[in-house]
Amino acid sequence: MKALEKLNLKQQQVLIVKSKKSNINSGATGWLFASPWIIGLVLFYLLPLVVSIYYSFTSYSILRPGEFIGLQNYKELLVDPLFLKSIYNTVYFAVFYVPLSIICGVALAMMLNMKIKGMTIYRTIFFLPTLVPHVAIAVLWMWLLNPGFGLVNGFLDMIGIKGPAWLGSETWSKPSLIFMSLWGIGQSVVIYLAGLGDISSEYYEAAEVDGANWFQKTFHITLPLLTPVIFFNLVMGIIGAFQQFTLPYTLTQGQGKPANSLTFYVMYLYDNGFKYFRMGYASAMAWVLFVVIMVLTLLIFWSSKRWVHYQGK
Amino acid sequence: MFHNFGKLRKLSLVFCIMTAVILSACSNKETSGNADNAKKDGVTTLTFWHENTGVGEEAINDVVDAFNKKHKDIRVKAVYTAANESQNEKLLAAVAGGNPPDISWFDRFKIGSWASEGSLTDLTKYADRDGVTKDNYYPFAWDEATYKDKLYGIPVDTDARLLFYNKDAFKDAGLDPENPPKTISELEKAAEKLTIKDGNRFKRIGFIPWYNQGWLYSWGWGFGGDFYNKDKNIVTLNDPKIVESLKWIADYAKKYNVEDITGFTDSKGSGEMDPFITGQLAMHIGGNWSISGYLKYKPDLNYGVTPIPTPTGTDFTSWSGGMAVVVPKGAKHPDEAWEFVKFFGSEEGQELYNGKYKTLSVIDSVNEKLGYKKDPLFSQFINILPESHNRPVIPEGELLWNELSNAVDNAIHGNGKPGDLLKAANDKVNKSLK
Repeated sequence: MKALEKLNLKQQQVLIVKSKKSNINSGATGWLFASPWIIGLVLFYLLPLVVSIYYSFTSYSILRPGEFIGLQNYKELLVDPLFLKSIYNTVYFAVFYVPLSIICGVALAMMLNMKIKGMTIYRTIFFLPTLVPHVAIAVLWMWLLNPGFGLVNGFLDMIGIKGPAWLGSETWSKPSLIFMSLWGIGQSVVIYLAGLGDISSEYYEAAEVDGANWFQKTFHITLPLLTPVIFFNLVMGIIGAFQQFTLPYTLTQGQGKPANSLTFYVMYLYDNGFKYFRMGYASAMAWVLFVVIMVLTLLIFWSSKRWVHYQGK
Repeated sequence: MFHNFGKLRKLSLVFCIMTAVILSACSNKETSGNADNAKKDGVTTLTFWHENTGVGEEAINDVVDAFNKKHKDIRVKAVYTAANESQNEKLLAAVAGGNPPDISWFDRFKIGSWASEGSLTDLTKYADRDGVTKDNYYPFAWDEATYKDKLYGIPVDTDARLLFYNKDAFKDAGLDPENPPKTISELEKAAEKLTIKDGNRFKRIGFIPWYNQGWLYSWGWGFGGDFYNKDKNIVTLNDPKIVESLKWIADYAKKYNVEDITGFTDSKGSGEMDPFITGQLAMHIGGNWSISGYLKYKPDLNYGVTPIPTPTGTDFTSWSGGMAVVVPKGAKHPDEAWEFVKFFGSEEGQELYNGKYKTLSVIDSVNEKLGYKKDPLFSQFINILPESHNRPVIPEGELLWNELSNAVDNAIHGNGKPGDLLKAANDKVNKSLK
């Protein structure tokens, strides 16, 4: 660490000398070079973000500015049955998908961390699905889960189980979607793998000496030391799950069928904003979602002190 | 150090201005090009956005070419923009940004909502001036382009929904192929005879009321109901006749087990594997556009079309949609644009477009000229057109559509009684209409 600091100091000195020589203020130059991104961020992210707070109190319709209507949009949300249904669907998805993705992700990463021949090939295989665009995944799974001649039901038939109608069934549509989403956890597996690689082998060696078995090593070394990575994936997973859109939208052509069992929060938001010209209402929905995600994230951050263990601390 | 700040400020200012210039230059290039340079040597160039591909695009180009030949001082440039009936964000952004194309292809279904937002140019005075009146068109087509007694577009094509039935399947089931069902009870009986079920799988299914074009609009009007009260400006989805039709659909779903039917419809193929072509589906409510597909994939498919059965076996009806050409609000050359809009809706433009694309014209005499009235299949569609309905032209047309679709979906899955579902949908749409 000290060496690094020294190096930094040296570099800074060099910079100062240079700047004195060329008479350029390094701070301003930095801002100048960053300005395309700063301008972009302010214009296309920050500004719309702030403006949408205002719009959520109006009847803005994209084509017309609308009127200020106070809290009416928010009040209306509370009694909109489809809004409540979309919340139920979204929470259902998040509650099952996020824990499952963590369990499967960690399990997969641990398997892919074993030292056997051809591991890079296995790792590639599990990462590949994440490279498939969502729309393509939707089409692919529509065929796999096809009740008449899909592979899944064909396989179930072979072992004597009569498969459900999957995406066509009200009870099975959401589980099908969770199943499909789990197929794309390669991204988080890669992060878990990095986390696993980061765990110092000294711990395992010490445990070996003490005569710990695999089970003890997993639950007392691997998992606790993997918690920072799990923590990261949990937060990202929840944010992603609450914003679920592309997959169900493509699967149902935006209809959320059957019987609105696949109408997710952001889908309904999109319909309101761009189809019913109720951008004010949609802005209100977006802010409700923002607050919910924010609160959940804060909760996780607050609780993280209790269960996230950093190495070397 | 500080004395350099002035210089830097200037530098960053220059940088910002350059960025702005570059950005605006880019956006100018990408917009519809109706900026000041549109008028050159007395020729006004108009941009026409459309979403047709293949033969549909060729048909549009034919109309555009014919128009350009006729007019020395106006040049229309047809530009394809990817859009479809449910997604038109590009036009939305262009209109909201105040730089729309001069003319746009537009689903008549959405004229109500866009007109109420003030996003379309009122064409009434042009039409009055040039003597373009409702008499030239089928009533529903003109009505669908009119919002609050003002004309916002000229209709250019249309469609209709009828019952398609497989004659071979009829023979196979011991039914008379020349005498298709006329009443709802005849339809039910025929469907029962045509259905062959093996366990929870259908080898052949007689009929699925909500399949393909079997929207509630197709049934509600057929049962004698009405979806909209124009005088009061309210939707009337819980009209007893509409409730009756949805009850019938829900009972049908129960009788044949909706999950089994969903299994069937989710497994259906497309193209040459379409269940109607393969004979797995004996009857369905379809539109005239299906004919070209059947002709392409199975020219010898032995089928007929007949009006959608009604409870009484009389007063047959259907509903029709279609496209229009509109002048978005904020377009720079509405006078010239109207000339093109008018031409597209004239008999000449109609004949060129619908003749090439094999779609139904909104003008009866054009359909006659194109020989549709002599064709055994097409003539059935032409015959129903004078009786056809259009969906209510209201600001909440899209919401109404989705609410009706949800009501049917919930009813067939047994989530609530048809009457209650329609009442809830009715309340929701009427609340938004206020």
